[in-house]
Amino acid sequence: MPETFLDSTELILNMGPQHPSTHGVLRVILKLDGEKVTGTDCVIGYLHRGVEKIGENRTYVMFAPYVDRMDYVAAVSNGLGYCLAIEKLLGVEAPPRAQAVRVILTELNRIASHLFWLGTHALDIGATTPVMYCLREREEVLKIFEAYCGARLTTHAFRIGGLQYETYDGFEQQCLAFCDAFPARVDDYEALLTGNRIWIDRLKGVGILNADDCKAYGVTGPMLRAAGVKWDIRKALPYSGYEKYDFEIPVGYNGDTYDRYIVRMQEMRQSARIVRQAVQSLPEGPIMAKVPKVIKPAPGEVYVSIEAPKGELGYYVVSDGTINPYRLRVRPPSFVNLQSLDKMAKGALIADVVAIIGTIDIVLGEVDR
Amino acid sequence: MESAPWESELTLAMKAEFGDSVLEFSTHRGQEFVVAKADSAIAILEYLKYEADYDYLVDVTAVHWPKRAGEEFDLVYILYSFARNHRLRVKTRIADGYKPQTSVTVHLTANWLEREVFDMFGIEFAGHPDPRRILMPDEWKGHPLRKDYSIVQMDDAWVKENLGIESGH
Amino acid sequence: MRKFLRTIFLIDLFEGLRVTLRYQHPKNIYTEQYPAERPQVAERYRGAPRLNKNPDTNETLCISCDLCAIACPEALIVVTSIRNPETRRKELTEFTYDTSRCMFCGLCEDACPVDALELTQDFEFAQYSRDGLIWDRQMLEDGPRPTPYKA
Repeated sequence: MPETFLDSTELILNMGPQHPSTHGVLRVILKLDGEKVTGTDCVIGYLHRGVEKIGENRTYVMFAPYVDRMDYVAAVSNGLGYCLAIEKLLGVEAPPRAQAVRVILTELNRIASHLFWLGTHALDIGATTPVMYCLREREEVLKIFEAYCGARLTTHAFRIGGLQYETYDGFEQQCLAFCDAFPARVDDYEALLTGNRIWIDRLKGVGILNADDCKAYGVTGPMLRAAGVKWDIRKALPYSGYEKYDFEIPVGYNGDTYDRYIVRMQEMRQSARIVRQAVQSLPEGPIMAKVPKVIKPAPGEVYVSIEAPKGELGYYVVSDGTINPYRLRVRPPSFVNLQSLDKMAKGALIADVVAIIGTIDIVLGEVDR
Repeated sequence: MESAPWESELTLAMKAEFGDSVLEFSTHRGQEFVVAKADSAIAILEYLKYEADYDYLVDVTAVHWPKRAGEEFDLVYILYSFARNHRLRVKTRIADGYKPQTSVTVHLTANWLEREVFDMFGIEFAGHPDPRRILMPDEWKGHPLRKDYSIVQMDDAWVKENLGIESGH
Repeated sequence: MRKFLRTIFLIDLFEGLRVTLRYQHPKNIYTEQYPAERPQVAERYRGAPRLNKNPDTNETLCISCDLCAIACPEALIVVTSIRNPETRRKELTEFTYDTSRCMFCGLCEDACPVDALELTQDFEFAQYSRDGLIWDRQMLEDGPRPTPYKA
């Protein structure tokens, strides 16, 4: 049949910003040919709060709670990246005990973030059960956060130079108990999803992004690893003592939505391994390095990045020698990863666009800042 | 800023390739950066991508220095090489109103990042495929991350017209 | 062939159902019945602010040093004091804390040198108006006054 036989005019469909499967206030303008997507245009900025501008107008210490509000699902990772950047600018390093506690909390946060992703992604695809179980385990993690620093989501757990709070009584046991129970729970999710035929049919071969495209679009995190690139900042440029722990980088092959799901599931298991090792080898000692009372770094600039649950989270900080950062740039993983939506969605069906948005794992607080 | 000069195989090769276009090879706090002339930035990014394996553009951003007459902006490209496991910053100093060449031709990811730089600083990129604002509304007046833009400043006319409220100051 | 048999006998479906059925037992229920049962929040929970008083003398512990107001990123604390000419010490007159802008980061609590300002475990302070969220000294010392509901 010639292609022009049933030719139709291009249809423009608006999706979002108030759409349950766009994970917040993402608006996508879809150009459609029938049900096939021929192009997308993301309209973002509905949640823009000017975090970078706020950073320039606050002192270094004061800005720390604000970074929690970018990727609010993984606030601990944001805090870690910010503290590491300022520590690098000052030339101090957190003591070993502080580093180990930071690793424990950050990895627990990675588990929490991936669990939340898994639950909502499955919900988008149409599996309504996993979200209940995922949030149950996430609750366990949030309880550890609450007992440690007094907040569940926007934790403000770390300070520049180390930690504010010593661990509480029973912290180690609670973390170990979680690590003991958790692998069986991941098995449960896998029983619900991995072999499920509807799940496989919806995800396999959808939203393929190969390794070269990933690099061209600057895509990082589980999306890059699902395309077969074994790259993780925790291994490549270790920070906060990650070189001491034994863990693997899970990789996929096809770079499709299903592989990203598998990679994230494996990452949760690896994170639980890291938590166990870090708790078992938790050193004694001080939790705060010697940091001046008023933080006033010498003029200079640094770029420090960490492996956040979504990808490379970087902070580019320029100091002019005053108590406020002169420029504070956040390199958000979600923002850069979202850019590849257009490439992945071309030629897909509308229902697949939902799966693709879900698999990028965006948090709009971080995209818009 | 106290930074030490940086010398390696790469800097020698780049010096041979670009000569006077590269102004400075430096390292600060263990992080290397290159300061280049504005018109040769794209050639340097191309060279680094194809000859030196810096194939991942991490970030494009800018810093506003209103007191530096004639060089009001630092335009910063942060690069990473998977093969070398090394991060490198390429900085150019440009004047207010200068239109740097877009780097989308070299790295696709620069598309949104340059749009954000335009949105926040008002630096227009010549040859950019999609030169629109990205985070602020399209009709917004002003570029928020410039130093002369106050933190409480708003486009009052836009707020009144589109949201139907007084902006409060 | 194996795959075909798995498809015919809906193995994956039953595997999934087994997980679901396993968690049907009432002791696996995780839901918190919030208004009926109050959840136990952690000891370090950062909730409603409180200005502590000396329990013996009933005098405020606050020395009006203004450090909390300086530490606050949102600048929502206002401390006013007058200097007592006899003792040459500052005495607290008024202390306002705008909880509507507070993000409960705990920086004020960390800054306080005498443990007078504290974020407590109380988490219920909804009000009927925004004005009610600006807490004055009396509210900070005695806890929030419940707003009577008029039908």
